[in-house]
Order: sequence, then C-alpha cells, then structure tokens
Amino acid sequence: MLKIAHIDVYYGDLQALWDVSLTIGVGEIVTLVGSNGAGKSTLMNSISGLLRIRAGSIEFRGIRLDSLPAHSIVEQGVSMVPEGRRIFPQMSVLENLEMGASIHAARKVRQKTLKEIYEVFPILGERAKQRAGTLSGGEQQMLAIGRALMSQPKGLLIDEMSLGLSPLVVQELSRVIQRINKANHLTIFVVEQDVPLALSMAHRGYVIENGRIVDQGDAKSLLCSARIKEAYLGAA
Amino acid sequence: MEIVFQTMANGLLVGALYGLVALGFALLMGVMKFLNTAHGTFIVLGGYLSYWLLDLWGIDPFLSLPLVVMAMFLIGIIFYKLALSPLLKLPNIGMRINTSMLITFGSIWVLDNTMTVLWTPDVRSIMTSYTGQTLKFFGIRFSLTGLGGLGVAVFVALALYFILSGTYFGKHIRAATQDAVAASLCGINVQRTYLFSCGIAIALAGVAGIVVVSSYSISSTAGIGWLSSAFVVMVLAGEGNINAIIPAGMILGLIESAGLLVVGVSYRQAIALIVFIIVLMIKPQGLFSKREYGS
Amino acid sequence: MNWKKLSILGVSVMLFVVPPLVWDLGTSVLNLLIMLFIYIILAQSWNLMGGYTGQINLGLAAFFGCGTLVTHFIWKAGVPFYLAMTAGGVAAMVLAVVIGLPTLRLKGMYFGIGTFALAEVCRIVVGSTFQRMLRMPSSYVASYSLVSRYYVAFVVATLAIVVVYRVTHSKLGLGMVAVRDDETAAQVTGVNTFKCKVLALFISALLAGLAGGVFAYLRLSFHYIFMMFSPVWTFEPLMAAIIGGAGTLVGPIIGSVFLVVLSEIFALKLGEAHLIIFGFLFVLVVMYFPDGLVGSIDRIRRMKVLVGRGLVKARQEPSSRN
Repeated sequence: MLKIAHIDVYYGDLQALWDVSLTIGVGEIVTLVGSNGAGKSTLMNSISGLLRIRAGSIEFRGIRLDSLPAHSIVEQGVSMVPEGRRIFPQMSVLENLEMGASIHAARKVRQKTLKEIYEVFPILGERAKQRAGTLSGGEQQMLAIGRALMSQPKGLLIDEMSLGLSPLVVQELSRVIQRINKANHLTIFVVEQDVPLALSMAHRGYVIENGRIVDQGDAKSLLCSARIKEAYLGAA
Repeated sequence: MEIVFQTMANGLLVGALYGLVALGFALLMGVMKFLNTAHGTFIVLGGYLSYWLLDLWGIDPFLSLPLVVMAMFLIGIIFYKLALSPLLKLPNIGMRINTSMLITFGSIWVLDNTMTVLWTPDVRSIMTSYTGQTLKFFGIRFSLTGLGGLGVAVFVALALYFILSGTYFGKHIRAATQDAVAASLCGINVQRTYLFSCGIAIALAGVAGIVVVSSYSISSTAGIGWLSSAFVVMVLAGEGNINAIIPAGMILGLIESAGLLVVGVSYRQAIALIVFIIVLMIKPQGLFSKREYGS
Repeated sequence: MNWKKLSILGVSVMLFVVPPLVWDLGTSVLNLLIMLFIYIILAQSWNLMGGYTGQINLGLAAFFGCGTLVTHFIWKAGVPFYLAMTAGGVAAMVLAVVIGLPTLRLKGMYFGIGTFALAEVCRIVVGSTFQRMLRMPSSYVASYSLVSRYYVAFVVATLAIVVVYRVTHSKLGLGMVAVRDDETAAQVTGVNTFKCKVLALFISALLAGLAGGVFAYLRLSFHYIFMMFSPVWTFEPLMAAIIGGAGTLVGPIIGSVFLVVLSEIFALKLGEAHLIIFGFLFVLVVMYFPDGLVGSIDRIRRMKVLVGRGLVKARQEPSSRN
C-alpha cells in the first residue's frame, strides 16, 4: 500500500536519510524503531509532506505522494498523528475533531465518524466541549489520534506515540491501535523510541540507524535479534 | 459637566472607529504574524475608492461598502501573493515579523507616492446630505457620520466574530493560527486560508477607509497616522485578541478625549502614543490579555 | 595598514577636498553634496544600531531634529558654531537617555514601534511649542558661505565614518554583532548586551544630532521646525542603509548616494516620486538581497570564484554520468 523507494532527505545541506526503502502492506501494522536522531521523524515528515525528498519516490496505492503538499496527501488517504500531539490548544475537543475532517470526503460523513471516535475514545465524548489545552497528556494523544482518524484515512502514521506518557496510558493506546487495525483493516505505520512497545504492537518492523535502514523482519524475530537486544534492550 | 459627557460621547464614537481601523491589522498580525505597516495606506486607498465612487457615480459612501469590500479583498489577495507569501518560507516567527515589517514599510513608499502622483496630495473628504448633521440624545450631540461609523464597526466586528467562531473557514483560520503545521496535517490548505485571510484583512482596511473619508478626511500621506492608531489599539487589546479590538478602540477613544480636556487639541495625537508607551512598558500583553489565539 | 586601501582612501579624500577650493561648483551641486553628506551621517548612525546591533530604531528623526533645534538656538545665542553643533550632538544624547529608558527593555519589533511612538511624541510637542518661524539674525545671513558648509559637512561625515569604523572593529563592535545575531547566546557567553545596546544608541544619537547641527548650519531658518522630526528623516537613512547593505561600512554610503541621485533625477517631476523607486528597491532588497548592494557585489565575487572552480574541475575530469 505504502511504498517508499530509495529516498534521500536533506535539511538544507545536511543529509538526514540515505537510500531509505520500505513497504507497508494493506492492513499491516509496521513499525520503525531507532534511537533519538536516527531519522524516524524525518521519514514521517517526508511521507506526510512536511519535508521534501531529494531523491527516490513515495507511493501510496499507486499514487506519488512526494510531490504533493501536505493537505493534498491527507486527501489521498494518508493521515499523520504528529510528534508531540500538536492539538489546537485554544479550540475545544469537538472543534479539534471537526478540524480533522476538513477534507471534502470526510466532511460529509463527519457526524458518523464522530460517533465512531467517541466509541473508541469515550473520554473525548465526555470532554467534548472542553478546551483541548486543558487535557492531560494521554487524553491529548487520544485526541490527536482521533483527529487523524476523522479524515477517514486508509493509512495512518503515528510519530512517537509514547513520548511523555505513562506506561499504563501507552498500553491502553497500544491496545486501541491494534483494535482499530483489526476492526477497520487500517494500515498503520508507527515510529517509536520505545522498542518493546513498538515490536509488541506491530506485525513487521524496520530498524533505522543514522539515517539508514539497517534491519527488518517480522516483529517477533526482530525482538529476539542480537542487534536489537544489544542496542535497545540492553541485553548482554 | 455637559462638556464631560459630550467629550465621552465623542470619545466612544472615535474609539469605535479606532477599533474598526485596527481590526484588519490585528487579524493579519494575529493569524499570520505579518506586521503590515502599510495598513494605514490601505485604509486611505479604501477611502479614495469610496471618494471616487461618490464623485464619479454618485454612490453614497455607506452604500458603496460592498463594492469597496470586494475591490479591497482582491487587492489584498494580490498583495499577499506579491509581497507576503514569500515570507512563509522564513524559518522563524521573529524573522517573519521583522521582514514583513520592512517589506510592507517599503510598500508604503511605493503606494503612498503612487497615490500622490495619481491623485495629488490634496486632502479629500466626502460631503453628503448628512455630513455634519447631528442627533441629540439626552442633551448630547452625536454626529450622524460618527454613529454610522459606530454602526459599521459593530456590524463588521460581529460579522468577523461569527465568521471566526461559526464557520468552518473561520475555524480553519483559527486552527492555522494556533498550529499551521497541524492544520495542514488535518487537510487544511493553509496557504489558501492565509490568502483569504489577507484578503479579509485588507477589505477591513477598506471599510475603515470609507468611515474615515466620510467622518474625517484622507490624503495620500495620511496612512501612517492611522497605522499608529491601529498599532496602539492592537497593543491595548493584546496581540491576537481579535474580540477585544473594538472595546480596546473605545477605551483609547475615551482616554484620548479625556486627555483632550486636559492638554488641548494640539497634543491629541501625542496622548495615544504616550498611552501606547505606558502599556508597552507595563502590560505588553494588552489590557484584556485573554490570549485567544495562543502564545 | 593596507597600502592599496590607503591610497584609494587618499585619492577619494582629495577628490572631495580639492574641487570646491579650485572651482565654483555652483549652489545646486554644493547643496546636493552637503545633503549627501548629511544622509551619509544619518545612514551610518542608523546602521550602527540597526545593521550592527540589530536594534531597529524607528525614531532616529527625534535625534536629528533635536540636534537641529538645539544647534539653532545655541548658535543664535552667539556661541561659535562648532560648539553649538557639539551641543546639538550632546543634546541628542540626552534625548537618547529619555527615549532609551522605556524602550531598550522592549524586545523585537516593540523596540521599533516604541522608538517610533516616542519620536512622534517629540514631533508633536515641538510642533505645538514652536509655532512661529525660526529665524537667524541678518548678520548670519550676510556672512553665509556655502563652501564652508560643504567642508563642515564633509568633516562630520568623515568623522562619522571613522567613528563607526573604530567602533565596529573594536571589542564593543563584536559585542554588538553578537547581540544582533543572537541576544540570548550573547548574554550567555558573557557579553554585556545592555551595555552594547546603550552605547550603540548613544553613539547613534550623537551622530544623528551632529547631522542635525550641520543641517541647522545649512538652512539657518526653519518655517516648520517640527518637520525635522518627521519620520522621513528616519526612514530615508534606514532605506539607504539597507539598500546599500546593512551591517557594512560602505553600505550606508552607497545607499545614500543612490538616494540622493534618485531624488535628483525625479526632483524635476513630482517631489517625492523618487521614493516610489526607492521603496520598490527596498522591498526587492529585503526579499531577495538581504545583504544589499554591497552584499550583492560580494555574492558576485563569490560566484565568480565558484564558477572559476567549476570550470577548472570540468577541465580536469572527463564528463561522468551519475
């Protein structure tokens, strides 16, 4: 569904991604793990259109994303939950969700989608009229995910879900993600620093180091691989 | 005592105009962090449009509102495309503010002097059947044009409020203001939102121009004076706080009128400026600091 | 000291010093040159604060007007001109204290609008206080010599350039640039940012005040003295400095020449029409050539180097496809 082929990404003159390729199939949860600064967010920003790639291509369901502006990529069915949540602090929870359904196709079914989101995240329904800036971290993350889902995406990108959240909340979110994936056959691409979390959620995974993909495989075997164990799980 | 009430009444009417003058300026600054120093020039331009509509085709200034609004909206879009949209590429907000200040400042010289060349520096004002007429309420005289200005100001402010909080386009504007990146990730075309916001802001300047030319007068170099007022009102209201603009304008009007009683007419403009400095020094986030639009 | 630079300097100085002694250049040419010198002083003054220290002062006119006003009255009182002019400069520095006190604490654009507002207050107060024409006694008119004005202006302009040169090449100058580039970082590395800003303001005010003094010497009488406090006296030097190249020594000079030449070309048509072109140029410079004309020369020089290197490389390697 999502095909990233040999992309190079630069920040000005500084290269951040080298020859990165990966594929994500329909209905999969795929994760990209790596330490801080390895290039995970850079990749996410490139897919969602916030950054331009300098070489290679990004395709979603056969359509090239890399030349489109960010808002058009949402129209193509790819929605991102950005790093740090980035909800609209002065708007209410409801208004935030409404903003998520800004594209034409989503606007028509807005009410229906809202109901579905409230089912998945009941607390958002409770706090619908509340200002988003007053929500807790976990609630904001739910709002961010809900907002991204409002556009009825075929592919969901999640950038660093676990940052700043307590383990319990993160677990709950992880369960929700997996549920959504199973129920709607939604393709999900998760980028994470928390390696065990990521690999427990996903079907397959990629490992990125210093801007290059260094390993890939299905989640279970990656979890057991020597490299992962050494670098991220602190094993002997 | 009569004089006090009369002065207060005048102050409120003038203040409403100050608020109207500041609306477009504050919108541009609040939404896109563009400091449009040419705002006063656009006000004058709107005034000229209204003046010529009356002079050439006999259209009453207050009736010419829709025409002027449309024309100024288009001008605002062109202005955005030419001068302001390149600034979106700049890395940080501080640079955007400074550079937009400088660019619009350069535009003042181009626009002001082009108007001088085209229409001479003569002072223009509009005389209609109701210019100079007053209504008397409880012994206080209210000028008709002043009341008209108040009406326009309130109407426009309410319309803007409704657009921003009730329509999806207005919500797009607010979203883009609070977090432009997140807004584009929601599928909002932020560039187009900014484009139309700029059109609205300049159209607002045009509306203010209509009231200015019918209540007072305009000349090709009068722009900077109105920019000054717009700035003071914006600082009083608090940067980004659009809803507080008309009230802040009225407060400025009241203070100015009260000050007039004390220091006399020749120092009128200085009063606003001194209020400005004091507010800047003591409470730079504005008298109302409700922080509607974040940061 | 670079001998080539010194000799260029020497020749240019000779170019300005000798001709008026030898030829009768005529009133209009002399007037033009004197105004050029005054603009150079003002542009250097603004540039010291704006280009080097990053403090965009929009109230320079207040210092200029103050210098003109004070010099006029002190000179009228019988004090020799040089002292009167110095008094004008000092008065501007005192005004700088008054203006600086509330505004130097303000950050970013608020400093600009604060200085603008205060300068406007000065203009309004002066306008209300001095409503009649300011005249000089006829003895002053009788002994008027445009040539001596020329040399005074030239000397002060040279002084301004030298002062700016010395300051920007000193430790203070380094501090100023640090404040411009990143005030927080400068503070953290031990630069006394407040001192840098204050000194920049004072020196700038002094120079602007001296420029005002020269102007008082030139014009003698003033119909509307408050016009010397008009924002135009801030904005034209500002534009000259930026178009020429903010943050350089030569930039303000080039920009001022541009300004004066343009205003001369258009003077025959409609008063301020030259400002249309100037405004356009200004916008272009801010958008595409932030280093001004000086910077563009630099860039052309650098591009020549790059092109040269490219040619050399192309000659050395056979063409390779990627």
